[in-house]
Amino acid sequence: MLTINQLTKRRGSVDILKGLSFEVKPGRVTGFLGPNGAGKSSTLRILLGLDYATSGTALIQGKPYAKLPRPLTTVGAVFEGSGAHRLRTGRAHLHWIVKAAGIPRTRVDEVLEMVGLTHAASKKVGQYSLGMARRLGLAAALLGDPDILILDEPTNGLDPEGIRWLRLFLRERAASGRTVLLSSHLMGETAETVDDIVIIHQGRIVSSGTLAEIVGPHRSLEDAFFAATAQSRGDQG
Amino acid sequence: MRRAISAEASKLMSLPATWLAVALALLLAPAIAALRALQELSEITKGVQTAVQFAIGFEELGFGVTGVIILGVIAISSEYSTEGEESGNGRQMVTSLLAAPSRLRFFVSKASVVASASAILAILTIPVTMGILRLILGEFSPVIGIADLPRLIGVVLYWTLTSLLALGITFLTRHAALPLAFLILNTSVMTVSYLLTRITRWANYLPDMAGIRMFHEIDDAGSPLTPLGGGIVMAVWVLAILSVAAFTFCRRDV
Repeated sequence: MLTINQLTKRRGSVDILKGLSFEVKPGRVTGFLGPNGAGKSSTLRILLGLDYATSGTALIQGKPYAKLPRPLTTVGAVFEGSGAHRLRTGRAHLHWIVKAAGIPRTRVDEVLEMVGLTHAASKKVGQYSLGMARRLGLAAALLGDPDILILDEPTNGLDPEGIRWLRLFLRERAASGRTVLLSSHLMGETAETVDDIVIIHQGRIVSSGTLAEIVGPHRSLEDAFFAATAQSRGDQG
Repeated sequence: MRRAISAEASKLMSLPATWLAVALALLLAPAIAALRALQELSEITKGVQTAVQFAIGFEELGFGVTGVIILGVIAISSEYSTEGEESGNGRQMVTSLLAAPSRLRFFVSKASVVASASAILAILTIPVTMGILRLILGEFSPVIGIADLPRLIGVVLYWTLTSLLALGITFLTRHAALPLAFLILNTSVMTVSYLLTRITRWANYLPDMAGIRMFHEIDDAGSPLTPLGGGIVMAVWVLAILSVAAFTFCRRDV
């Protein structure tokens, strides 16, 4: 369970997050939707202890990320790119992570196999395509076999086959009772994957519920999304 | 902590630039020492001078610090370098802090790995440099005895502290260019700190000038420091910069 409560973030004189609250439940895939710059990445970065909140809390199983014992065994996260240095090989990248996180070394080959990178494990990350880089990022997130997966714009750079593979993979994780949170600005793709939706716009949650609740009378998730964000624009105007 | 240190060692050793830095650390001082020894030998055989200068070997070991400067800088800048747009602009630092979120522990383990590597490199480079002098100069070679031990320890400390200085500055700049350019130029091509001693004697209290005093007395710098005093002044500088760097790193967004 992920619990975001009254989260605010101010950078300089700009309020990036203006008091967000929402929950992410286990056994479901939750889509965190919003246009670019709405505050999705900031929220996820605070949840994972990379950035600091100005006020409010973002907790994982009731604890801040930094207080989790061996966090990679609880949460796996994927951010931009691969999160690896260009001049290291894929395998060397995963090797230092298992050392830092206290995970058995045998997991390295297992996750490489899971994401289909075994053949490229000895290549330098700089030679990977964007799709391969994203797979390496996912492999790192899976090292600790975590109950929770958090993915920031995971389909960026994936080809249609990769997108379909990822969708099935995430559905399977949720079906086995695990928690998946993914951010996206792509409606069509997200609708195919998620159970629950949280829509963020200009640092505020403008709508949240199950996919069916959010779509409601609208023709598609995209229509529902624009209705929700237009309403929020109207409220402010 | 052992996990963190082992991970940092593994990271450093799997970077190609590390091996360039290691090669530079091991070869630069012996190479310059060899050139100077050949020159001094020809002066002696010509009868221009009767013995080699007192500081031969030690001065070159001072220049050799370049390798460990690179080591200290890349250990940190590699965490912040972006992967490039085609692979989505990720940074390794994100992965590092997801795997082990304690920032202070991360900082301390980085510093420990860089400091130990630099100390080991200094300990390896000293005998190579002195050995080459012995080989070239033969009977004119300076005799290194037990009395030189404090100076030799000074070299090891100078290398170690300089690498930590480079690491601390790079934690603050998050980029290799500035610390590399500034620190390498200052130790090799144009020694700004040394030139400053011409203007004010206070420049002898700058970290590099104070540190060099541990094993070498620059004739015309007029340093008021003793070797021990120089070591203490440099250590205080490094400790201060590391504290500011650690404080900043622990409190800022990645």
